[in-house]
Order: sequence, then structure tokens, then C-alpha cells
Amino acid sequence: MTPIQLVFLFVAFATLWAAFMVVTRNNLVHAALFLVIALFGVAVLFVMLEAGFLAVIQVLVYIGAIAILMIFAVMLTRGDVDDIPDITNRYAGWVGLVAVLFFSSLVILMAQWPSFTALAKPILSSRDTIVELGTALVSPNGYVIPFEVASVMLLAALIGALVVARPRKGK
Amino acid sequence: MFGSITTDMVLAILPEIALLVLIAVVFVTDLVVDEKRRGILAWTSIIGLLITMLLTAFFAQPGAEAETLWGGMLRHDWLAYVSKLIFLFGALITTVFTLNWDSVRFKGEFYVLLLTSTLGMTLMGASADLIMLFLSIETTSIPLYVLAGFLTDDDRSTEAGFKYLLFGAMTTAVMLYGFSLLYGFAGSTGLYEISAAIGAGQIPAAALAGAAVLVLVGFGFKVAMAPLHFWAPDVYEGAPTPITAFLSTASKAAGFVVLTRVMIAAFSSVQAEWQLMLAIAAVISMTLGNLVALSQTNIKRLLAYSSIAHAGYALLGVIAASELGAASVVYYFLVYVVTNMAAFGVVIVVSRVIGSDEIADYAGLSRRSPGLALVMLLAFLSLAGIPPLGGFIAKVLVFAAAVQAEFVWLAVIGVLNAIIGLYYYLIVLKVVYLTPGKDEQKALPTPRPQAVALVVSIVLLLLMGTVFAPWYQWALNSASALF
Amino acid sequence: MDFLLQPLNLVIFFPLLGVLALLFLKERESLARWVSLITALITFGISLWVLGLFDAANPDLQLTVVRDWIQVAGWNIRYAVGVDGLSILLVLLTTFLTPIAILSTWRAVEDRVRDFQLFFLLLEVGMLGVFLAQELFLFYIFWEFTLVPMYFLIGIWGGPKRMYAAIKFFLYTMAGSILMLLAILWLGINQGSFYLPDLIAIGGIPADIQYWLFIAFAAAFAIKVPMWPLHSWLPDAHVQAPTAGSVILAGVLLKMGTYGFLRFNLQLFPQTSVQLAPVMGVLAVIGIIYGAIVSYPQSDVKKLVAYSSISHLGFVVLGLFALNQQGISGAILQMVNHGISTGALFLIVGFIYERRHTREMDEFGGLWKVMPVYAVLTLIVALSSMGLPGLNGFVGEFTILLGAWGGGVANGPYGSYLFAGLAAVGVILAAVYMLFMFQKLFLGPVTNKKNEGLKDLSARELAILIPLLVLIFWIGLYPQPFFALIGPAVAKLTASFSGIAYLPIP
Repeated sequence: MTPIQLVFLFVAFATLWAAFMVVTRNNLVHAALFLVIALFGVAVLFVMLEAGFLAVIQVLVYIGAIAILMIFAVMLTRGDVDDIPDITNRYAGWVGLVAVLFFSSLVILMAQWPSFTALAKPILSSRDTIVELGTALVSPNGYVIPFEVASVMLLAALIGALVVARPRKGK
Repeated sequence: MFGSITTDMVLAILPEIALLVLIAVVFVTDLVVDEKRRGILAWTSIIGLLITMLLTAFFAQPGAEAETLWGGMLRHDWLAYVSKLIFLFGALITTVFTLNWDSVRFKGEFYVLLLTSTLGMTLMGASADLIMLFLSIETTSIPLYVLAGFLTDDDRSTEAGFKYLLFGAMTTAVMLYGFSLLYGFAGSTGLYEISAAIGAGQIPAAALAGAAVLVLVGFGFKVAMAPLHFWAPDVYEGAPTPITAFLSTASKAAGFVVLTRVMIAAFSSVQAEWQLMLAIAAVISMTLGNLVALSQTNIKRLLAYSSIAHAGYALLGVIAASELGAASVVYYFLVYVVTNMAAFGVVIVVSRVIGSDEIADYAGLSRRSPGLALVMLLAFLSLAGIPPLGGFIAKVLVFAAAVQAEFVWLAVIGVLNAIIGLYYYLIVLKVVYLTPGKDEQKALPTPRPQAVALVVSIVLLLLMGTVFAPWYQWALNSASALF
Repeated sequence: MDFLLQPLNLVIFFPLLGVLALLFLKERESLARWVSLITALITFGISLWVLGLFDAANPDLQLTVVRDWIQVAGWNIRYAVGVDGLSILLVLLTTFLTPIAILSTWRAVEDRVRDFQLFFLLLEVGMLGVFLAQELFLFYIFWEFTLVPMYFLIGIWGGPKRMYAAIKFFLYTMAGSILMLLAILWLGINQGSFYLPDLIAIGGIPADIQYWLFIAFAAAFAIKVPMWPLHSWLPDAHVQAPTAGSVILAGVLLKMGTYGFLRFNLQLFPQTSVQLAPVMGVLAVIGIIYGAIVSYPQSDVKKLVAYSSISHLGFVVLGLFALNQQGISGAILQMVNHGISTGALFLIVGFIYERRHTREMDEFGGLWKVMPVYAVLTLIVALSSMGLPGLNGFVGEFTILLGAWGGGVANGPYGSYLFAGLAAVGVILAAVYMLFMFQKLFLGPVTNKKNEGLKDLSARELAILIPLLVLIFWIGLYPQPFFALIGPAVAKLTASFSGIAYLPIP
């Protein structure tokens, strides 16, 4: 086992653990803080995949903006940040079981695939991935359409959020 | 370094460009027009959609050979062309039916969301890449979540929106997981590259079938097939009725276009497996949809369950995985969109007047408004598959596809279900025509624009049942784009 | 235009002109009746013209119109109509009974007259289409199309339990016919054509598949006939339907089932027809006796006539599956006879119902003294229905019994004498319940005061019944012209069974 694999395993387990904590905490602020850890773990994984730019974006956008925003939102909108007594319902056990079964069956299925255990080839260091990424996003023969569609979708989501959140007349 | 944009590429996204312009126009109009004159918003959308439809029909028609454009993101073929026209038609009729719906018709955001959703659908019809596909599905769904809950003063509408959002988000996440597995297997996000990679035979069929299940969860949600149908009745009942109509027609059709394209293009090497999965889903959808529909007293819920059953019938065409099968699916949705639009159109007009969606309150409709009753009669008989209406031909085609693909047992189950279906359609018609009502003497007027929309739908319905060839040629061209 | 002026297309679609005219009539009710009646009479005239063009000596389809209709991607669906000896009489029966039934609604239907006439003419289009279509797809469309108007005729203008009856009628028929649709699709896809003469010529369907296809078709037709044990929709539909609806239902719609056996089962699947003939024979005989026995205790006259239909149509099926010249000719003639006699019986029941608004036999008695003309006519019709020599019923039933006795290829392990013998019991039972009914209604003293002042038949009512009586005597005394129309086509059909040996059912 190479050192890099050891680091990967550590980071991966830390990320999963943090993610698990996010959904099991009774305190919303705690959950949000664990989310920061999970998101950070993903950023580390990006670094290990030699995707430095994405790692930076991950930290800036998800941790720097989204997670912080969520913590603010939680603290500003709830009068009390006390524990929520019960966050599970009676199906929790079954859902957990289904999730475990689903995951293990996927692992078993994937294990039959030869490329699953093969090592990926390293990306050639001569290529400038950031330039390529930037070009691909605006090139007609790349991802310009998804890029534009994403902006339309976000606009629609923004309008939708306003529609839902706008105060009602007469109330 | 960026490559150039050719005329073909522009023509391929002409409907989307037109829709985007229309969205901007509606948006700006909403800003500049004062509150009392916002009625023109709906008319702007209607005229814009008509223009978009005409532009699409005349300029965006693909050649005989399917092309993959925009860096493999979009496909310019007959399936995309026909499905775009279907979605635009659905959006157009939906917009017409909002004309007398005062709680929405002065709100620009309603039309912006509706048009954005339509834009997403047109892209769904053309997507040839997993990234594109995911984005277009989300562009379709997110506005629909909001639209379903648009009546924020109405608890049922709010509940519908929220339920739709939760179900949608969960199934989309599962589907995205399936997409990522596919990308992992094939090393590409292009559907046709994935198909080639799978054809080369590196990936074990079992793993691929696992990915297919995950992907099917997402598609199954969009088409409301069992066992992913739970959201449908509540959402259909709670959402504003024009949105229900839109959900049950255009949105479902979009799901089916994607389902057909992805299953046939990407998963052809595990065909036997997904055929079996879909066959089970089809049997459950048909049987459950029809049986539960029997006991409904609310017309919107009845149509919701009927639409689950219809998803089951249409699945037969997908399962056949043949040219006839794909053509039958396209034909089914040509007919189904028109039929259901007519049915919901009547529901909308009637419920604006009587203020109820209970089937029992439709008693005496045939005397209050013979025209509406006739539309309802024709639409429901078409849903039941009675000649000479479009629904009959559509059912014949899917059953024929199943018979041809040696799924005779599925066709038999479909046929038995058609009889159950017939029963509850007849029950509604019984109330409309045979049961005497309270206010029989009071006429129930249909506003002019809605009447025009209903007449257009009914004429199309009759045409699709009698003059069969041109429509079928469309369906067949679409199908041959897949093989 | 040329297409629509073809004689057969004219027959089928002419009533649509009446429908169009009715659509433009606003609430002018008396006018609606006249428009409808005149349309039906002209249609009858056109069908007589068709009869004039028809060459009785030719056993093949005549006056055919074959046009391509849906010709894409391996689908070879055509518009094809034609007439031959097997169907000409049924076409005439349809066009003949329709104006009579319309005339009978003059007083009986007061509510939404225009809609009633509209549905009635649509129904005529559907029925004529069924008898004339020579293409499976087209046939199916017409077949299903007849359901919708009938559903409304029963559902809007029927008796107290009309909705139940209408829905039951629709569902039963649809359940059978949609299985037939699957069989039609199988044939169309695997044989490459939906055109009947083509399909007969291609043949070569493997025996085991033929077996299933036969059953799918037979399910649709047996429900329509209706054969025992699929008959339970019939009494409900008949009792609840308005008089004109019952006349058409018994007179024509039920014949669509027996005609279906004749046109499709016997022609498309000769092998299986021979094989299953004894089974069909047994069901037919059970139907004959069951119908007769159940008719006897009925207190509602209309219900009695309805059950008697099951018995009479059992004869028709028995004749068809005798698979020989006498049997099939007799069956075709008996279809016509039943249409006339039972149609007349329903009209007669309708007349008394319009006067008293009840059909219970106990309410009547001694009507002979009050309404002598009515009584005499009823007696003639009842005698015709029970098969008295000299009247039409006898000719049909006797020919069928002859055919069943001869049995031909249908001998099988059951023996055709047994069939003929048991069926003859049905004739005797028919005499019992018919005479019993007649006695209760007409003989004895007038027991119920309400019956004392009843008026005898009006001129209109006589005009309705007399054409039927003329035919009753004509067929009874001189059936030769009718057999001449049927004969050659039946001879051609039976020839197709000659090479087939009887095989036990697998």
C-alpha cells in the first residue's frame, strides 16, 4: 500500500464520517459545521486527483460561501438553536438497511469490473487543465450549451425561490 | 480555438433560442406594464409559443441523417423535432387554459417559469449527453416544483409543490449516481460513446444493469410509472389545474422521450435485463393505476391514476425495443398529449364555474354545456381506446409492438387493463351524460380562447384516429433516428 | 367523390348525412324524427339498389371497394368493403329494421329527441360497416363503434336501472372484442395483411396458434351472440333499453356475433372450426335449452323475449357449426327470421308498455277482447317465433335441424343426432313458453280494470308491424328467393371444409 493510498483512505473515511454526522446530529449548527468538514474532505480528494483548480473552487464556493451562508441562515431564522428532540421517524431502520444493502450490492457488482481495481493513468503535467476547462465551457464544440442552460436554470430557480418566499398579500 | 458555429447548429437549437427570447420578453413586459394590464402577459406567451412552434416546424426540421451537434451535447434528429413540437403544443394549450385563472394570469413569473420548463423539455428531447441530459431535466423540473406549489395561499397546492420537490430531488440524486457510474464505466458522457464503449464489451452486464436501475429511478419518476408514482395523485390534485395538465402530458412525454432514447441507445447490450425490469414496472403501473382509479371521486385524482396506467401502456412500446415500438411510443404521446389536454381543458373550464373537482358535481353537464360534454366524451373515449379516435390507434400500435417483440403476455395484460380502464372512464361519462344534475338549467359558458383550444384538440384527436399516415410517418421517422 | 358514390360506401355512410342534418337542427323535435326516418328509408332504398346490383349466382365478394389506407412500415391496412351471399341478407335486415325502429319511437321517446335520432343513425352506420367490412382492422373499428351509440341509447333513454345495464353491456362486449383485437394484430403482423380474402388465400397458420386465434375471435363473438355462459348482460340490456333499442339490439346487434363466427372463424380457421365444432355444438344446445327453460318463469314479458333470444341464437350457432350447406344456410336465414320475429315481439311489448307502463304479465289478461287486432298480430308473431310451419321461424329452424342431423364433418365423438334431438326439445319448449305468455296476456276474462279502456293499434303502429308480418309469411311460404341469395356463397364456404378430417382436441 502506497502512502498516497493511506492518505486517500484516511480522507475518504473522514469525509464519510462527517457526512454521516451531518444527517444524525440533533443540533442544526453542529450539522452545518460537520458539513464543512465533509466538503473539505471532498476538496482534499480533488487535490489528490491532481485537480487543484476544482479543489480551490470547492473551498471557496462550498465552504467559503454556501456552508457559511447556511450557518448564518440557521442562526438568523430560528429563534432558538436548541436541539431538535427527534430527527428520525419509524422508517429510519428500514431505510438504513436498504441503503446498506444497496451500497453493498453495488460494490459487489462493481468488483466484477476489471477497471475497478486498475490504477488510473496520471494526467500529463504538460497540459494546462485550467485553460482547457475554460475553453471547454465556452466552446461550441464543448460545453457551451450546458453552460448556458445552467444559467437559465439558475435564473429560474432564483425566480422560483422568490415566488415561494415572497410574503403573501393580506397576511 | 473555439471552433465555429454552423447554420445547422443554430437551426438545431432554434426552438430554444426562440423560447429564451420569449422568456426575456415576458420578463421585461412584466416589469414595464402596470398591474392592471398584465393580462397581456398570457397573450404574449401564447403568441410567442405559436411563433416558436411555427419556426420549429418549418425551419428546425432535421434531414434524413441524424446529426450530433454542439460538441456531442445535442442530437438533431426527428425524435427531437417531433418531441419539441409536442412539448410546445402542450405549453401552448396550457397557457391558453390559464387565461381565466385570475390567481396566475397577472403574474409574469408564472409564465417565465412555465416557459423555462418548456425550454428544459425541448432540450431533454434532444440531449445526447449525460451532462446535458441532467441539466435539461433539472431545468424542466425546478420550475415545475415551484409551479405545482404556485398557489401559496392554498395548502394543497403548497403541499403538492413540496412533495414534488422532495420526490424529485431524491430520485434525481439516485439518477445522477447512475449517470456517474455510467461515466465511470465508459469514460465518456456522450450517450452514443457510452453505447459504443458498452458494445465493446468491457463492462460486466450485471454492473451495467445496476446502473440501469439507478437511471430508471430518475426516469420512472418523471414518467410517473409504478413504483415511483406515489407523488402523482397528490401533486396532480393539489397543483393548479393547468399545471396538472402540463405535468401529465408534456412532462410525462419528455420523460418518455429520454427513457426511450437512453434505453435503446445506451443500454442495448443489457436489453433483456431492462426489458424485464420495465415489463414488471409496466404491469404494476397499468394494474395499479387502473384499479385505484376505479375508486376515485375527484376528477383530477382519477386522471392522475389514469395517467399512471397510461405510462404503463406506453412502456410496452419501449419494452418492445424495436422500430415499431419506438414509433408507437411517439405516436402514443402525440395522441396522449392532445387527449389529456382536452380532458383537463374541460376540467379547468368546469371547475372555474362550479368550483369543484368532484366527479359527482359533473352531473348534468351534458345539458348545461353540450359542447364541453362532447369534448369530454371524445377525450375519455380516446383514453379508453375506442375507435375512431386517436387513442385507439395509439393502443393498437403499442400492443402490436409488444406482440411483434413476442411479449404477447404483456399485450394480454395490457388488454385486460384496457377493460378496467374503460369502466371508470364510462363511470365519469355516465355522470356527465346520464345522471341528472342540480343546476341543469344554468348554462355553463366556455370562454372563446379555451373553446378554440378544445376544438383544436378534438379535431387533432379525430385526425389522429382516422387520417393515420402523416402522424405515423412522423413517429416512424423519430423511431428510425434511434436505430 | 367517386369513392363515396360506390354503392356499398353509399349504404354505409348515407346515414351520416342525416346525422349532419340533425346536428344543425336546434330543438325542433318533430322535425328530427322525420329527418331520421327519411334518412333511414333512403338508406333502405340504397340497399335495395345494392340488392339489384348483386349477382346471386356469384359466390364471391361483389361490389368491392378496396383502397389503401394505412400503408407505412410493414402495416398493410386497407379500406375494403364488399358484399356476398353471407352478408347481403343481414345488410337488408339492418336497413329494413332501422326505419321501423325509428318509427316506433314517435311516442316512446319524448326527451332529447334529436340526440336519440342522432345516436340511432350512428348506430346504423356502425352496423352496416360491420356487415360490409372485409378487412379486419376496418371491421374492428366498426365493431367497436357500435358500442358507443348503443351505450347512450340504453343509458339515457332506458329503464330505471339503465346505467347499470349500459355499463355492463359496454364492458362485456369490450372485454371480448379487445381479445379479438390482439388476434387481429397477430394476424396482421405475421400474415402481412388484414384483408380477409388475402388472409384466406395465404392460410398456413400453425394448428396450435390457429386454436388460440379461434378462441380470441370466438370470445368476442360468443359474448355478442350471446352464447351460454356469457349471456348475463343480455337480459339487463334488453329490459332496460328503450323499445327501439331492443329491436335493434335483438334484431341486428346480436347477429353481429353470429355473423362474426360465419365470416371470420369459419373462413379464417377452417381446421380449428372443424376441430371445435362439437364444443360449439354443445354450448349451442345448452344455450337453446337453457334459454327456453329460463324464459318460462319470467313474469316480465320483455325479459321473456330477451331470454328466448338466447335460445333462438343457440339454433343459429348450432347451424353454423354443422359446417354443411343446410346448417349454414339455415343459420343465415334464421338470423334474419330472428331479427324479424323478435324485433316484432319487442315492438309488441313496447306498444302495450306505452299504454300501461308495465310489462308484468299478471297485470294483464283477456286483452283479446279489448284489443283484437293487436291480439291477432301478436299470435302470428308468437307462432312465427316458436316455429310453426308456414311461418318464417319454421323454415330456418327446420333447415338447421336438418343440417345438424346430417352433421357432416362435425360428427366427432358426440354424434350429430344427439344435437339435433336436443335442439328439437328446444322447439317444443319454445312453444310452451310462448303459448303460456300468450294465454296470460290475451285469453280469459279481463281481470284488471285498467285494461278495459285500452285502445287498439293505431295506424302508425300497424304501419310498423305490417312490413314485418309480410316478411314472416313470405319467408314462411316461399323461402326460395332467400336461399338463392345465400346458396352459392355457402357452397363455396362449405367446400373449404371438405378436405379436413376431424381431429380430437389436443
